[in-house]
Parts: sequence; structure tokens; C-alpha cells
Amino acid sequence: MEAANETDVFLNGEQLNLGTDVKYKIFLHLTEFLFLKKTLLLSAMTQVVPPILSVTPSRALVDEKFKVLVENLPPGCPVTVRSLHHSEDKDDWEAYGHYVSDHSGVVSVSEDLSYGGTYTGKEPMGLLWSMRPVPGSRPGLRLRKMNVCTPMLVTISVHSGHEGFRDQPPLASVLTERWYMAPGIRRININEQGVQGTLFIPPGPGPFPGLLDMWGGGGGLLESRAALLASHGYVSLALDYLGFDQESENLEFKYFETAFNIIKDHPQVMPDRVGIFGLSLGSLVAVTLAAYSTIVKPCCIVCISCNHYYPARGSTVTSKFEGVTRQLSKARVNEDNQVIWKDVALEFITDPSNIAEVGRINCPTLLVNGCDDQNWPTVETAEDVARLMREAGKEHLLSRLAYPDTGHLIEPPFSPHFRATTFVMRSSKEKVILLWGGQTKPHSDAQEDSWRKILSFLQFHLYCGPNLKAKI
Amino acid sequence: MFRAHMSVTRIWQLIEKRMMSCISVHGKLPGLQRAVGEVRRKSSFRQSPLLTATPVRALIDEQISIKGRFLSQNYPVTVCAQMHSEEGDLWEAFAHYTTNASSSINLTSDHSVGGSYVGCEPMGLFWALEPALGSREGLRLRKRNVETPYIVKISLLEGHTSPSEGQSNELAAVTTERWYMAPGVRRIEIRQNKIVGTLFLPPGPGPFPAMLDLWGMGGGLLEYRSALFASRGFASLSVAYMGHKDLPGPPHIMSVGDSYFKSACQLLQDHCQVDADRIGVIGLSFGVIPTLRIATRIGFKPSCLICINGPVGSPLLDEDGKNKMFESDQKHWEFDDRGYVSFRNVFLPDNLPPESKQKVKNITCPLMYILGEDDLCTASTENADLIEEALRSAGKSHLFTRLSYPGAGHLIEPPYTPYARVSLWRAKPEKLFTLWGGHPAPHAAAQEDAWKRILEFMETHLRR
Repeated sequence: MEAANETDVFLNGEQLNLGTDVKYKIFLHLTEFLFLKKTLLLSAMTQVVPPILSVTPSRALVDEKFKVLVENLPPGCPVTVRSLHHSEDKDDWEAYGHYVSDHSGVVSVSEDLSYGGTYTGKEPMGLLWSMRPVPGSRPGLRLRKMNVCTPMLVTISVHSGHEGFRDQPPLASVLTERWYMAPGIRRININEQGVQGTLFIPPGPGPFPGLLDMWGGGGGLLESRAALLASHGYVSLALDYLGFDQESENLEFKYFETAFNIIKDHPQVMPDRVGIFGLSLGSLVAVTLAAYSTIVKPCCIVCISCNHYYPARGSTVTSKFEGVTRQLSKARVNEDNQVIWKDVALEFITDPSNIAEVGRINCPTLLVNGCDDQNWPTVETAEDVARLMREAGKEHLLSRLAYPDTGHLIEPPFSPHFRATTFVMRSSKEKVILLWGGQTKPHSDAQEDSWRKILSFLQFHLYCGPNLKAKI
Repeated sequence: MFRAHMSVTRIWQLIEKRMMSCISVHGKLPGLQRAVGEVRRKSSFRQSPLLTATPVRALIDEQISIKGRFLSQNYPVTVCAQMHSEEGDLWEAFAHYTTNASSSINLTSDHSVGGSYVGCEPMGLFWALEPALGSREGLRLRKRNVETPYIVKISLLEGHTSPSEGQSNELAAVTTERWYMAPGVRRIEIRQNKIVGTLFLPPGPGPFPAMLDLWGMGGGLLEYRSALFASRGFASLSVAYMGHKDLPGPPHIMSVGDSYFKSACQLLQDHCQVDADRIGVIGLSFGVIPTLRIATRIGFKPSCLICINGPVGSPLLDEDGKNKMFESDQKHWEFDDRGYVSFRNVFLPDNLPPESKQKVKNITCPLMYILGEDDLCTASTENADLIEEALRSAGKSHLFTRLSYPGAGHLIEPPYTPYARVSLWRAKPEKLFTLWGGHPAPHAAAQEDAWKRILEFMETHLRR
């Protein structure tokens, strides 16, 4: 029997012998019918009640999860759920996932799989962490909330279809607020004893444990994490320590001790429950204060993307950083014109005399780093810190979290991942694109996992840890 | 040892130096000494108590989960809620709990053993709010400005005490915000076609199913239920029909009638973001009368009706649906021994002139009647019976749903908000207080259940 071809027509498994013109007419009618059905479906969709989209809770802290639910769709309907955020820097960030509704016409972002978009799979929070600048945006953007007294506004919308979903207006959309600051928190500008920063105090009588919070060498004053920590019950001081002109005096080690004491001496702070939280360069401050300071004794320290490069002890953090960045001008640039500091920095830290004596640390220490950190050799640093603390008999104080395919900027959860962003070199004012590393999905998982563990670590040592006085 | 001692002394010195400038809102001299004592005592605690509320910013109809941790085991504590109304009155609620073996309390699962409520009541601190001791009589909590939240401070106090005693040690606190409006909901003032109202639209393109929202004879323009409907995806137009400065006629007389409500329905139908075929009407108390008239007399076909504790007619109603001054006929008013008036018998079907009863048999859409069995303002049970019977004899029983709540009063409103058993009806010529009825816990349960059923009813008849 000759092989069947496309124009053969079968009825109940039996081949019909039809003339070619008949087959052609059948083909036409079938095509017409299918086209009509699609048109009917489309118009049916626009005439019926639009789908119901809900985001619960509609107002949340940035580290809280939400449930995005679409109901009242036709069954088996392909839709795209999209998030859109207009940043303070006036850029548009978006994420989206392609879904198909179930037999009852429901898409549950928490339960269902995304078939494509900026994230795939079952990702309840993918609409936030997989956000990236919309096509056509300036390169090298980073999303940071500078004003923590207002929420981040995100529009969640549902669109018909997968490919080309943006071509039509959304079927439904809602607005959700993501806050860094819980209600009742007091935000106080600090400008005393030479120290500049912002203090966040939770509501209630206290006393509370305290945290000194520092970001990295990008400079400026980022309040987002300190506000969030205050929302979890810590008096937190976001410290501005690189925001000074070249001409002003170099910061002494004393600057950080004074900042620490401002927290410690606050009437609503438990003086023996003050810790330090640092990212990148901020973690260098944390380890050196913990290792060397005779004035302050942190109760515990959290170091994200730890830096322990500390040559020529006695000079300041800022001058060291500027020295480092000058040397980093030799750093490799990849084919995307992104600057990789990691390899050059690795050379600096191989010399033991350039390393902070972390064996002198006497408080619980949590190190968090990404294994794909391209900005600083934090993997090697963490190993080194572990070795030095072990040799000094302090291993019991150390906890480590290391995440595969995760980069340098490990931030509170559901923040978008930045593999590379624009960075202004402090000394030369040159704009480069720094490679931070990490792949979006594993990096976002690391942010979520590490934040939970960081909060648990802080709570253990600062809220319900052993009474330190008993040891003295 | 020495270090510990030094820390405590140092704290003491710092407190004395700083306390004057850092004094709390409730600071008085006894408070100052108390606070100093607090700090000194707490610094020797192994742990520091932490009170959390999740979510801290919630819609009025969302549950908030309150937990206290890092206390001591089997430790008596009081959880207290405080807020100020827009009029400046302080409202409070409190409950007594005992911590468990893990030194914590969880209001979602633990039982209160005393205070403003007992038993397991996750939202008790909100629905059991009462005016603080010394407040004016007959207060009712109603939010006029729905664009801002209620700020409710929750505190954790040592021991089993009450806020009015004012002597307890505050261990921790958290601030919550309770909103009538979700983000993105649009509030639009309506003063056109002689309509006095406010329209709330959900975010998004629509078109949305819609509700016409009618309140009672207290008058004015109440927006909070409509704001919540819009937060749940329904456009909602709340209209005033008496007691509003922008309406014609004196405040105590209903000078608008059927044509007014017809304009309101028309406005919704004509709105480009409203689905003209999916409009329902909800009426509370006297608002049930215009609700029934809309469904039977003005040529409008609502998709569903919700009637809460309202009469089928009024002795003072004219044929256009306008109502003469309510106080002109007091023969059925009943006063209790405190001089509070109950209007219940005014609206007993037997006391209503037959021609004033609405033609319920002409209704063609589903009707849900919600009643509080302890309603002292309207004879709701009897009116519900009348409506049910009228529909039954017209072969329309399938349209009727009744929700009857024992122990609930007249003012069945959105959930987790305090109710009033009595409130001020009028201040002049002399003060008159009216009885609404209801008892706290059953009324709160009724509000919670009724709200869920209302939203379900709206989903079923306006969306699917």
C-alpha cells in the first residue's frame, strides 16, 4: 500500500478515495472553520467577564512572599503574567512568565509552572527576582531603593497569549506595594560626633538589639537593608562611610567605633547585643572591628561577600580601598567590556601580611558568599578565614554559607539579580561596568535562603542568645 | 562580673541623662520611673521579648497573625490594641494569655482567658475595640476618609492587667495599618446628574462588575464598604440619599426618590469600565427599601440584591419613594429603662401600611437577606419572612437566600471592626440614643461570616 500523504482523507480509519478538487474544498472549509473558531474564541474572550487577578497580600515587606492568582479564564488558556516597576531612576523593570490555565480557568503563580519568560518552572516569586530592565533600557542598571519611606510599586498584569503578549493591552492588572519599612519605625538622620548615617528604631519600648549596617565600595548611603532589619526588631544604623570628598580627612578606625557606640549607647538598645552587618567592603570593616578594636566588642558579625584584605595596618579603610582600586585598573576586561576584579584581587590576598588577623575574632561570625563571585575572591577569602580561625581555636564561632552560581551582590530576597552593573571609580570618576557574577535563578535562591538564615543567626545571637554577662 | 555591673550602672546613667529627651508618648513622672525600672530589669533578661504582626499592613477584611516570642515559660501576658478614631477618641481592646512551653503566644491558635474577649479569637483585638474609659457615650467607629489607614498599636504587657489600670510594664509593641482601600483602587467623587456619591474602581482596564451601595437612615455618604468592594475587584458606587449637604431638602427628610436611584444605576451602566450587564445592589437597614424599589419599579434589572436588616416598607414613604421625616411618627417607638429607643416595631410588617410594602414578588434576580436575630432597630426576622413568603408564592423561592445570625444586631458591617449595641441617634433638641442590638462575640462572628458570603454571592451572580 502506498504511503499516506498529507492530502489523503481518512474517515473512521478508512481511506476515502476522493478527487483532488473535493479534497481541496474540504481543506478550505476546514481552514475557514478553524479561523472562525479562533476568531470566535478571541472575541469570546474579550466579551466575557475579564479574568480576576489578585495579589495577596497587596501590601507586604520586601522579604515577604505573595500569591498571584488569575481566575475566571477560559480553561486551557495561554496567558502571560507580567510585573512592571518604574524605578526611582526612571527606568522600567519587568519580569514575566508564560502560563496555561487549568480546567477551572485558574492560573496560580505559586503552584503552576511557567513555561517561559524571564523565569521558568514553579516560582511563586519569579515575578520579582527575575526582573530586568525592559528591552531598550540603558545598560548596566542596578535597582536600589533610596527612599525607604515609600514602597516599591509593582504592577502585576495578565495578558493574552505567550508570544507577542505585549501587543495588546492587559486583560487585568493590579498594583502591589513592597515596603522596606514596617509602620511605626522611626527613621532618624544621624550627624553626630562626625558620624553620618541613618538610624532606624522599631516601635515599642525596647530595649532592642542593635546592628551597624554597611554596604560596599560603591559608596553613598543605602538604607534599604537597615530599614528591613529594623522591621525585624533591630535598631539599625545604616552607615555612610565612603560618601566623603577626596579632600576631607581620611576616616580613622575610630569612625566605625564611634558609630558602633552611637548604637550601643542609645537608651533603647541593649548594649551587649549589638552586632555588625557588612557586605563586601563593609564586611572588611566588620572583621577588622571584631578582630582589632579594643573599644567595641560586637556581639556577632554577618559578612556577605567577605573581604579580609588589610595591608599596612594602621592606615584607614578608605585609603586602603582607594589603593586597591588603583591597582585594580590592571584588572581583566572580558569580551562584554565588563571588568573582573577577582583574579587581580586574588593576588593581593595571597600574601599573609596583607590579611586581617581574623583569628583574633571573639564573636560568632557568619560568612555568606557566592561561588561565582567575579568581583572579589570571596570563595578563597572564606576558606582563608576558616583556616585562620581554626588555627586560632575559634572554629566554633564560625558559620559559613556558600552558594553555587551566585555572585557578589547578595541582597535581601526577591531583589533582582545584577550580573554586571555600572560602577563609578571613586578616584578617577571613571565609569566602568563591573562584573559581579552569578546566574539569576541560583543567585535568587541564594538571596532567599541566606536571608532566612541570616535572620535566624541574628535572632539567635541577639534576641535569645546566652547571656554574655554570665561568661565574664 | 565587674563588667556586668558596669554595664548596668552605665545604662542607668545614660537613661537618666537621656530619658528627658527621649521620653515616650505616655511619659509622665511615674512612667519615667517605670521605664527606668523596665530597662534595668530587662537588661538582666536572657531574652528580649518580640511582638510581631503579619501582615503589618492589611485590608480591613484580612486576618492579621499576632505572635509574641522570647518571653518566659507559662508567663501571664496581656495583649492590648489601641487606636484613635478620626474624631480623636481612643479605642482599646485587650486579652489575657499565658505563654506556652516555648515561651511564646500565638493569637491565631491560643485562647484568651479574660479581657475584651475570651477563647480563640485571632482578630478579637480588632472587633472587640471599645471606647476607652471616660469617653463620650454612644460612640460608633466609622471611617470617613478611606484613603488613609487606621493605625492600630498592639502592645504586649506583663501580667494579666487592663489598659485602664495603667500600671503594667510594656514588654514590646508593633504598629499595624488597616486599610479599606487596596493599592491602585481609584476613588472618584460623583456630583453629576444630581447624584451625590463616590465611585470606587478597582485597578486595571476592566470592565468590572459593579455594586450600588446603600446605607441607612443615619444618612450621609459612607464609603468604606464600597472601598472594600473595589479592593476585591468590583466597581462600587456609594450614594447618599439623605443627611448630606449636597442633597436637596432638609437633612432628616429623604427628598430624593426613584428617579434619583435610577440616575445612579444609569451612571454605573454608562461607565466605560463597568460591565452594564453585571450590576448588583446592596442595602443596609432603611437602604433595603430603595434596593427593593430599584429591582421592581424603575425599569432596571440588577443581577443580584443583598439586603441587610432592612424593612420592606416604611409608614412615611410616598409613591416616589421619598420618605417624610422619620421622627414625625413615634407611636411605635419603644424606650428602655435607660431612655434608649428601639425602632424595631416601626418596621414590623403588621405596623406597615400595606401600600408601603414593596412588591417583592416582582423581583427577577437572586436576593440574599442577611439578618441579626437580636436586631433592635428593625424587625428583620419578620421582614425576611415576608420577603421569603412573597417570593415563594410567586414561585421564586429559588431566588431567595437567608442568612440568620443569632446574637447579632442591626449593624452588620465589614468584618473585624467593632460594632455598636447603642449609639447616639441625634444630639438635638436633646440627646437620643438608639439601640441597635447584638452581643460582641456573636456579632463579630456574624460580620465575618456574612462578609465572606456577600463576596461569594457577588462572585457567583456578577462574575461567572
